[in-house]
Amino acid sequence: MPSALDNDLYELVRAAIDPAALVQFVRAGQDGAIVVFDGFVRNETHGRVTKQLEYEAYEPMALAKMREIGAQIHEEFAVHRVAMVHRLGRLEIGETSVFIAVSAPHRAAAFDACRFAIDTLKRAVPIWKKEYFQDGAVWAEGEIPPAAPEAKPAS
Amino acid sequence: MPSVSSSIRAKVLFFGRVRELTGLSEEGVEVREGTTLADLLERYMRRYPQLAGLRASLVVSRNQEFVEWDTRIVSGDEIAFLPPVSGG
Repeated sequence: MPSALDNDLYELVRAAIDPAALVQFVRAGQDGAIVVFDGFVRNETHGRVTKQLEYEAYEPMALAKMREIGAQIHEEFAVHRVAMVHRLGRLEIGETSVFIAVSAPHRAAAFDACRFAIDTLKRAVPIWKKEYFQDGAVWAEGEIPPAAPEAKPAS
Repeated sequence: MPSVSSSIRAKVLFFGRVRELTGLSEEGVEVREGTTLADLLERYMRRYPQLAGLRASLVVSRNQEFVEWDTRIVSGDEIAFLPPVSGG
């Protein structure tokens, strides 16, 4: 059965993310707006100087959860296409770790959907970040995912 | 004695700090019928007491879905004890 997800892009990658290509991917003649979220590696955490980050994921589950977020977006917001890409492995300061682009006929839905996408990704997708500092490394504190599946619209 | 047929095989995956604390990324386990995910975690906590400090923050997945701890393990399950997530 065709689904709106078929026109989307959900990926975990180990090479640099190309934001321009993802923006182009979601852009179509029927749209009037694209909202993007570009998450990149900050140079400090709570005042400690960050050297680099390392991301790992429970890859098949993470991809499934990203697609679930996409399905929720299409149910709840009047958007056209979603591109959601998370990078894994070692990242340097300033490199993009996650990029989300949402296209829609009108801007409000694109803003709302993009915000929902990153907030939900950070809470419910099994990806972990280890932060390397000058004087050691720690796993980021993180968020505890909801134990039950994410609340979904009644089906 | 429990019969051989009452034992169930499953796969357990480890990520993030759970992987580092146990030194495991994946292993096969054999449990008795009726064993819950909480029971299995207890078993790992006896083997790796250093997991105790993480207990309250862990969630569990079965076949790539978040589930409750009282879920019973069935043959062929893929289980993961997941520390707080920090993607983004």
